[in-house]
Amino acid sequence: MNPEDTLSHTWTNEKIKQLVSDENGVLDARIYNDEALYDIELERVFARSWILLGHESHVPNAGDFLNTYIGEDPVILVRQKDASLRVFLNQCRHRGMKLSRDDAGNAKAFVCTYHGWAYDIAGKLVDVPFEKEGHCDRLNKADWNPLQARVASYRGLVFANWDEEAPSLDDYLSDSKPYIDTMFNRTEAGTEAIGGIQKWVIPTNWKFAAEQFCSDMYHAGTTSHLSGITAGLPDGVGLNDIQIPTNGNQFRAKWGGHGTGYFVDEPGLLAAIMGPKITEYVTASPQAKAASERLGSDMFGQRMLGQHMTIFPTCSFLPGINTIRTWHPRGPNEIEVWAFIVVDADAPDDIKEEFRKQNIRTFSAGGVFEQDDGENWIEVQKLFRGNKARKTKLNVQMGLGDSTTEHPDFPGRIGGVYSEDAARGMYQHWLRMMTEPSWDTLKP
Amino acid sequence: MASLINIDNIISSSAADLALQHEVQQFYYREALLLDNIKYEDWFALLDDDIHYYMPIRRNAMQRRGRARSSDLAEYTNKHEFAHFDEDKVAMSGRLKKLLSDFSWSENPASRTRHTVSNVIITEGEADNTLHVCSSFIVYRNRLETQVDLFTGERHDVLRRADNTLGFKIAKRTILMDQSTILSNNISIFF
Repeated sequence: MNPEDTLSHTWTNEKIKQLVSDENGVLDARIYNDEALYDIELERVFARSWILLGHESHVPNAGDFLNTYIGEDPVILVRQKDASLRVFLNQCRHRGMKLSRDDAGNAKAFVCTYHGWAYDIAGKLVDVPFEKEGHCDRLNKADWNPLQARVASYRGLVFANWDEEAPSLDDYLSDSKPYIDTMFNRTEAGTEAIGGIQKWVIPTNWKFAAEQFCSDMYHAGTTSHLSGITAGLPDGVGLNDIQIPTNGNQFRAKWGGHGTGYFVDEPGLLAAIMGPKITEYVTASPQAKAASERLGSDMFGQRMLGQHMTIFPTCSFLPGINTIRTWHPRGPNEIEVWAFIVVDADAPDDIKEEFRKQNIRTFSAGGVFEQDDGENWIEVQKLFRGNKARKTKLNVQMGLGDSTTEHPDFPGRIGGVYSEDAARGMYQHWLRMMTEPSWDTLKP
Repeated sequence: MASLINIDNIISSSAADLALQHEVQQFYYREALLLDNIKYEDWFALLDDDIHYYMPIRRNAMQRRGRARSSDLAEYTNKHEFAHFDEDKVAMSGRLKKLLSDFSWSENPASRTRHTVSNVIITEGEADNTLHVCSSFIVYRNRLETQVDLFTGERHDVLRRADNTLGFKIAKRTILMDQSTILSNNISIFF
């Protein structure tokens, strides 16, 4: 390697393209911690991608709002009087102060606490204190609205995108929709969010979290979560008594960097996480059979188990466990996790309650599975401070060349459950977003 | 909807008997030593069979006249919503199994913690052998090479007289953490 490559702080497209090899399955560790690359990410990835903001049920009524983020930009998601949704920058056009500081609520207007500029729930500037005395009729209020983002929903999930030129959410999700539907389209009633968003800080790069949910069944059955599995075993049953499944698949989206993986007909991991009641609900209940009918096959309704999934870049969820979260980036070395739980809207109350309790027990800041994820990610991130460690070439080669587009049961590009093809797809799409400024070449 | 904690009752309660106050505080000091010395099994033995170990999520909510903080369900998630912890004895015993395994990476190597418990207010008498106790905690955690976390908050316990060396079991513990976004990579310790 040319010494200049690691000392230069100017990233050109040519240099960025050398960081990731889809073909050879090699990553340059600098993608996880370089400050200058992160600035490019905010501009080219986060300001151009569809970012998960929440669920339709977070804002059911006119004036209901949720404060959240696109990348590092604070935005307000607001339900309008005509039931549509709007998303705009949570920033006053006068001196840049936040317009809203509740986590969520119901508003008739948003009034800046600094000088009192007031905006309606559509994000339109409607009142400026002492306008006549200060501006003498020279202020055209229509010119001073906060920046609006595009907003679109898929199966109850609300996404936003700053970029007017970006593909529609529908096109953006590409061929990944059947794999999203295993969690979000099981019933005509759809899903609803259980109240409360859990937020916590992990000093790691967002791509570790996104990639793990996109592509990494490997860590679940090897070492990361053995103690989490132990926590869910009945008395008298030890790790030696259970078998970690190996039968399953992984899907890599043909466009967009999305990915998912799952076991087939092996409920062991799901049962260890969610217990017998939810496992029965997902695999064998009348609701599970109805989901199979709705989704067109018992494979998609009842037999894909322990599923993990990421919609690029930062929307991740676990069908059957039903946690969903956005990994909000906070510099190259930190994320805020914003996690919530969804349930089938027509599920019995005791099933909803069981989903709530098992998520708290397993996939949350204190969860017996998730607390160990945070441990791995922060150690890796810290290690990348090292001069040699940050230049290490990392191996992402499992399943290289093994995927097929002609799988009998699953549409799209399919590999084995312990493949890393979806990870390669995620990093390849990241690379394209980072180096292709125009949607003319980038579009699906 | 019922409030989470009736803080006005606690504030207006009269001071507990000196001997009882001493006894409860000494229980808390010893309980803290169990946690800080990773005597997980001994600490777990203090949880009664009907234990409810609960930590709601705290939110940023604009103040409105007439709303009291600890009883405010706009500020805390309610019992049907998401929480940091909402555990019964079975779930807690699973957490114990995790900690006692050799591969509980979030606590292996174990965190160095210091549980400091103060502001102990006993609000109800010894009817049915139970006490309602409000306290404050400061928990310092140092982990691995340089990680430092500081957690503070309020605990609302129901303690029950017990025939054990420390004299009490914990029947209920509600923990009100002084953080909205948890400023740590996980919550792998107990409070």
